[in-house]
Parts: sequence; C-alpha cells; structure tokens
Amino acid sequence: MSIPFYSGSGGVPAERPAGRSVDPSAARGGLWAAALLCIALVAASFGPGAARAQTGTQSGSALDEPVQDDAGNLPVSPDEPTFKLPYTPSLTTYGSPGLIDMPSAEMLPEGQYTTTLSYFGGQTRFTLTFQPTPWMSASFRYTGIDNWNLGGFSTYYDRGFDLRFRLKKETRLWPEITLGLQDFVGTGIYAAEYFVATKNFQLPPVGRNTLPGRLKATAGIGWGRLGSYNPLGTTGFRPPYNPNATGGEPAYDQWFRGDFALFGGLEYQPNDRLSLKLEYSSDDYVTETQTTSVFVKKSPFNFGVEYQWTPRTRIGAYYMYGSELGISAQIQLNPKYPTRPLTLAPAPQAVAARPSRNSNPAAWDESWAASRSRVLGLADRLAPILEEDGLILESLDVTANTAELRFRNLQYRSFANAVGRAARALAQVMPASVETFRLVPVEANMALSATIIRRSDLEALEFDGQSTQALLAVTGFADAGARSETAVVAPGLYPDFAWALTPYFDPAYFDPSQPIRMDVGVDLGATWRPAPGWVFAGKIRQRIAGNVKDGRSSNSVLPHVRTDQVKYAQYDTTLNNLFGAYYWKPREDLYARVTAGYLEAMYGGISTEVLWKPVGSPLALGLEANYVVQRDFDQRLGFQSYSVFTGHASAYYDFGAGFLARVDAGRYLAGDVGATFSLDRYFDNGWSVGGFFTLTNVSAADFGEGSFDKGIRFSMPLTWFLGQPSRKSTGTTIRPVQRDGGQMVHVPGRLYGQVREAHSKALSDQWARVWE
Amino acid sequence: MGEGLGMTRKDAVARPVMHRTRMCAALLAGALLAGCGGGNQVEPLELQVIRAGQAAIAKRTAGAPPPRPALTRAALNTVEVSALEVTLERDDVLAYLLIDDTRRDSSPGKITVWRSEDNLNVVTRNGIVIATRGLGNDIISSSVQVSGDSPGPARGGDHVQMVRALDNKAVPIPLACDLVDMGAETIVIVERKHPTRHLQQRCEGAGGTVVNDYWVDSARGIVWQSRQWAGPGIGYMRLRRLTTG
Repeated sequence: MSIPFYSGSGGVPAERPAGRSVDPSAARGGLWAAALLCIALVAASFGPGAARAQTGTQSGSALDEPVQDDAGNLPVSPDEPTFKLPYTPSLTTYGSPGLIDMPSAEMLPEGQYTTTLSYFGGQTRFTLTFQPTPWMSASFRYTGIDNWNLGGFSTYYDRGFDLRFRLKKETRLWPEITLGLQDFVGTGIYAAEYFVATKNFQLPPVGRNTLPGRLKATAGIGWGRLGSYNPLGTTGFRPPYNPNATGGEPAYDQWFRGDFALFGGLEYQPNDRLSLKLEYSSDDYVTETQTTSVFVKKSPFNFGVEYQWTPRTRIGAYYMYGSELGISAQIQLNPKYPTRPLTLAPAPQAVAARPSRNSNPAAWDESWAASRSRVLGLADRLAPILEEDGLILESLDVTANTAELRFRNLQYRSFANAVGRAARALAQVMPASVETFRLVPVEANMALSATIIRRSDLEALEFDGQSTQALLAVTGFADAGARSETAVVAPGLYPDFAWALTPYFDPAYFDPSQPIRMDVGVDLGATWRPAPGWVFAGKIRQRIAGNVKDGRSSNSVLPHVRTDQVKYAQYDTTLNNLFGAYYWKPREDLYARVTAGYLEAMYGGISTEVLWKPVGSPLALGLEANYVVQRDFDQRLGFQSYSVFTGHASAYYDFGAGFLARVDAGRYLAGDVGATFSLDRYFDNGWSVGGFFTLTNVSAADFGEGSFDKGIRFSMPLTWFLGQPSRKSTGTTIRPVQRDGGQMVHVPGRLYGQVREAHSKALSDQWARVWE
Repeated sequence: MGEGLGMTRKDAVARPVMHRTRMCAALLAGALLAGCGGGNQVEPLELQVIRAGQAAIAKRTAGAPPPRPALTRAALNTVEVSALEVTLERDDVLAYLLIDDTRRDSSPGKITVWRSEDNLNVVTRNGIVIATRGLGNDIISSSVQVSGDSPGPARGGDHVQMVRALDNKAVPIPLACDLVDMGAETIVIVERKHPTRHLQQRCEGAGGTVVNDYWVDSARGIVWQSRQWAGPGIGYMRLRRLTTG
C-alpha cells in the first residue's frame, strides 16, 4: 500500500540563511509564518486530499499506517505505491506524544514539527514541539492560567521548555522507554521528570466485526508535578513550587527529587482517524486546586476522544479530573512532506545535443573564439534565455573550449537547480567546441562557488537511469576565483534600483498582561546598487495600528540595549534602516563586508565582517567588529549617548545529517563578554529549527528574569507552502523573555547564510534538483 | 517585477486607531497597497505571498475551464509533427504534447522529448515514460527494459523510477515486473484504426503493485496507446499517439 520511506535518505543540511536567524526582519516573520500555515491548512482541509482522507482507510491491517500521499492528491488507485505521511502519535494537552495529560514513551517521526493548543479548567497551553533526531524531542510551551490570583497576577502566563529522550526503542517484546524533563527551566510551574514505557498491541479481529485496531498501553513513574498524587515514596528533598522565583536556569538539583508516583493509561485507535483515551493521572494540581482555586479536581481519571480531521490536523475532546471539559487541536507538519509538491514550470529545455564532429566538422571549428563580436553575440543570446529561468547573466568568459558563466539566482532556493538551468542555457547557446562549463553563482559581487561540468556528460547523462548520481560523480566544485580580464560583462546591470511597498507585522511576545502585542503597517523600502558589490538600502515604516506601545517599561539594571522596545514603539513614522554596504572577496575562500549607517531600528554605526569558508569545508570561521550608537527612540536621524564596540569571533560547523552548530564569542551590546552557542537542524528544502543560549559575565541577578539569554528559532521556506520556486523563507526567533544581557546588533546581510547555500555540501546534497 | 497596486486607497490608512476591526482594515489596506518596481533583485517575501494569494483566489473564482473541443481526424491532419495526448488520471488533466527532440544515448532505445504548450515535459524511451518535468513530484529518471527500436518494454525485469521527493532527494521506486503479451487488439484513436499487440507489464515493489499497458505496433515501432504509472506523486497517465508527423 505504501512506501516505507527510508529514514536515512533525507535530512542533510543546506540552504538556509543561517546567518540571518537573528535578523530583525525575522522577528516579524512569525505572522507571515502563521498566515502561510493558515493558507496551507485550509487548503489541506478543503482540498481534494481531505475528501480522500475520509474514505481512504478502509483496508489494511491493524498496524497499517494511514494511506496519504504527501501532497494530498487523490484518487489513488488502491494498490499503487504512495508517498504517505509517516505515522504520528497523538499529543497530550502539553503537546507531547501521549494520552491526555500524561505523556507516553512514543517519539514523533524525525523532523516532525507540531503545534498544540489545548484548554481545560481555565488553563490554556500552546506548545511547539520539534523532533530533530529520531530519539530526542524538544518543546516550547506558553501557558495561560485563569483565576490564578497569586503573586499579583489574576491570569498567570508562563513559558517553559521540555526535553524528551528515547532510552529504548520498541521491540516485539519490549516497550518503548523514554525519559522526559518537563518545564525544566524557567519558574517551573509544570516541572516534572518521568520515565515512561509504551507498548503497541495489534488487536485481533473480533467476531463478525473485523475492525482492526491499535491499542497502546502506557505506564510511567513521575516526579515533581507527576509525583504529586498518591505518591509511592520519595527520593530526597524537592523545594515546593515558588511563584515568585526568577527561574531561567536548568533546575537540575531538583530533578528526580521528592515524591514519585505512578501514572498510566490506554489509547485505543479503532481506525486511522479515531482515538479513545483513558488515563490515570498522577498530577494532583496542588497549586491550582489547593493553593488557589483554578478548578476543582474530583478524580484522577481522564477520558478523551480524538479525531484526525485532516492528514495534518487532529482535534480532541476530554472529560478531565472528574469535573472539567477539555479540548485540544494538534497540527503536525513534517518538513520532508510539503503541503503541496514543488512544481517548476516551465520545464527545462532538454540539453541541446551537438552535431557529431565527423559529420559536421565545420560546426566544431574553433576560430570563432578569436572574434570578440562573436563572443559578445553569445552573451547577448544567453541573457534572455537565463532570464526566462529567473537567472541574471553577470558575465561570460569563453575560450574555444571553455565557458565560465557568472549569474545571479533570483528564483531557486536550491542552487543545484539554478546551476542546472544555467548549464542547459549554455548548452543551447555555446558553439560545439566549448566542452567545459564553469557555473558561478554570484551574490552581491561575491562569486560563491564554481560548479564544473563537462558538456558531453550533460548530453550523455540527461536521460540516464541514474542521472543524478551519475552527473554528480563527474562534477567538480571549486572556489570561483576572480573574474577573468577577458570576460564579457553584461551591460546595463548597474545602477540597479528597486523599491517595494509591503505590509509588515511586528509582534512583541510574552508581556505579563497580554501574551502577544502587535504593530501592523506598511514598509516602503528601496535598494540601489550603483556598482558591483555596493548596496545602498533604506526602509521607511508607517505604522497603521498597534499596541506594542502599551507594553511594560524596562526594569533592567543593565544599559537598556534591547528592553526599551516600548519607547521605540511610540512613533508611527520611522526610518527603520538606511545604510550602505560593500561586499567583496579579498582572496580565495574569503568573503568580506563593510556596512555603515542606520543598521536597524535601535542601532546605527559601522559593521565589518570577514568570513573564511572554503567551498568544500564543513567549517567556517568569521570575525565581526562593530561600533554602534543607540538611535533616538523616534528612529529618525538622531542618536542617543550610548555607544559600544561590539563584535564576535564565530565558528560554524556543519556536522552533516542536518545539524549546524555555531559558537560566537565576543563582546555584546551591553558591554558584557561571553559566548553564544547555537544548534540548528536543517533540511535541504529550507526548513530549520534550532535553539541558542548566551552566557556572559552578567550575573543572573543583574540579567533579571530568565537568568541568561536563550531562545528558539525556526524558518520555513515559502516554496514549501506555495509549491512555487522562491528563495524566501519566513520564520521567527522566540525568546522566553527579552533582556539586555547577551544581545547582538542586527546587521543586515551577514555573510555566512549567503555563502553556505551555494557551497559544495548544499549543492551535492540537493543534486537531484540539477536536472529540474 | 510588477507594478504598484491600488495606490488610491491612502484614505484607509489615515487615522491609526487601535481597534480590532481597524486592525483588520489596516491589514487589508496593507495588502492592497503592496507593490514594487524595477531591479534585478529578489522580490520581498510579503509580495510573493500576496501574489500567490491573488493567484489562488483567481484560480478559485475562474470557474470551470471551457469544454475541450472534440478532436477530429480532419483537424489532426493539419498537425505536421508528432503529437501525443496525455491524460493524468488523478486530476483528470489532459494535455497535448508535441515532439520536441529525439536522441539516443548509451542505453538502448530511442528517447523522445515531448513538450506541451504550457511547458510540461514528458520523456519516453521507446514509448515508455522515463521522465517528467513540470508536473510536481516528477520522475527525474528511470531505468527500463527496452531493446533496439522495438516499442514498449522488451522483457520483464527491473523498472526503477527515481522520483523527486522527501527533502530534495531522488528517491528510488524499484519495481520488479513481468511482461505479459495479451495478444492482438485493434484500437481506435480519433477515427483511425490501429492494429496492435497489447503488452501488459505487471510490477510489484515499493509496497504496492503497478500495472502498465501498452498497445504497440512492432512493425512501425510505435506505442500507439498506453497507460503508465508515473510515480507516487503523479499516478497513472494515459498516453495516445495522435499523429506521427
């Protein structure tokens, strides 16, 4: 019925603008991400896929997984192989795989990205969970509790992180066993640790009713919140929950301490869409029901029913703790399974074949190469062909046997795609004697890499059964080097002026009195490129509506380098940025940038950066030095008195298998000294999810709530939702709390993200795209 | 890059008042105001999203496409090149493709590239679909069992499609096939009779079964009609050779 997707076949890192993850523009991307999600999910709900999903599961054995092709296309004939979404466990009110309030040992499929919204007894939980590896998942949760009436809050909002590790995979005899740390940093209202085991059972058909089914039994032992009801015993001292603590640091001295208790339950899935859940909860909700009265708990038993509404959306209703009704909505996405297939139209032109040298020796004549006008003519013919495919000819250097094409890629997230189209264009135009193609993508005057392909290989392998692997085997990647003196430079590329009028959303999260504040308006942006490498850009922002200006004012004891957001939000018309930049390649493997002006809403100054990144190296090293002055709150042309030298030495390392690590050590905006550690899980299609933390010489007390800077970030490619080629991504960085320690200046156009996606690892990992 | 849109709606943004309906109006105004101009540069994300949204709305509101005109042999006789009719069964999409190129490579068989007016590609080797482009989840390449110029599959054996799927990968869909000769059949394609032999390829693999049918004319070396599976993303397609050029 379906193709077991070989789990090892995907997930190698590539194209994502890594260096831009702290770009200020990323902060407003969250809303675009949300809008895209809405579009995609509505399309998925009401498209042909939804209708199919309701009829598509009448056959198959008990443990057969839902037959869903990844695009939601149908009808699929009953036995043809399909691309199905991987089987996904259902989620708890906490957004972890499990029952209702209690976790199970199940892991999500690798790469799964879930969003869960649940409500019961005055408690709203919003959880993002990501499964970067098959054996580990991480969650971020935002919680609102009504009728709290403690510590001066009537409604209490809190953020928390979970981690789950699989200790043992399920086998025929053994259950899956998982270790979980719930709400392990922060003020820890949901703090709990547990070991849990889950076993799947396939039910035999009963009587005439041959309904197959899946039964999952779960049992666990929990500490903290999960050890609060009917404890079996105790292991050491655990301080009681303190609503007034600042939190923020891993509470490892409390883990697995205090009372422990058993929990467990059953989930029965009579078919692929329906679940019935029953659980015994070891959470006594002490603070909620005894210290204060958020709800009344009458029973440890919870009951629930869940329904798979669309292939990616599940809804649930519950009767909880003998007194409360609960609901949940679970959305599960997997970067490897786009909501719609990427369709690249127009299809590429077939690689033009050359006449045979024997039958037509005149076509192979090489004397043309001596004629400058012939060469200019070739460039003239090439440019419009490239433009059809979203590529811009920058320069062409030809000899009788070689052609080097330098081009801009405006359209393709995958540079392999751009390189392939560029190679086809060369094959269409170049005289027969040109045998070697060097394809050089260029970004802001920086030649990123050279892909070297023999034309005869293109001709011979286009329709080979293993065309992707075969061509990769005979393709070379190298540093592009400097442009030759003899190259024909495309005329009319400079000066280049572009403007755009676009809406913007600028959210501010986690104000204690309002979870999300938002400004909306329009941006008028313009970019002028007078000459290669030079960029002058600016953006005027007109707010139309918003309430970020009503947020709370800063209580930071450090220089207010980031926490004066509210003061900056008092003005409707602002100059968001206005800067000039120059990019160049000082020598092989080196990239450089100087940027000066109003860099971002809060800072102006000068920023310089050098990056070393050989085309084939997983390691990159960077150095960035900035002198910045804090801008006036009105974000016009003036500055305040605060200025600082800030800069970092950075190391980037691509571990393969989709993991990119980065360490930045240096001086931050508040003058504090330390290092930022980050790890991102990348997908070749542009998805990435990661986290970071920064430790500096600012004490936890001076830092304030949260103790040190940390956060999560994600980025989603537009193509994934639209099914059309695009280089753009949307995403956001979420910090549980924005403070002043460990903060960097946001400089537009950092180098690493621009460079890496055109280097050999990204190119070869996505080589399947070269023929598209 | 496009042009400025709806620049007359400035009155909608005159007075910032914090109110939910105003917020919505503001969002709408922002969307209407969006525009850009000039430059060989990547378009902003917001514009790309808005354009995609507009295109989707236009598609929804466009209504049913006009009915397909009935094909007649008289009309086909005016077509001077080889033409192929391709129907995607899943979406009931029909396209006419004209021959774009033919060639040979180091593997047996003759490769034909077919191209539609709206730039979709189907590539065949002795009439067997070995690649598609522009359909989404395309077949990148295929290894098939052909011999010489004999149309359709020459024997049973491995039939492997490399499909673009997952995370920008070429995912192999390996099928093991038996070839069955179903005997002589005369088929009609737009008023013209063709004596053919019906070959059926019965394949298993990748967790499913696939049945491909070919109606071949060995003497002329043509697959007149076929129904072939083009990978999990596309499903079955029906091909009819309308003209031979």
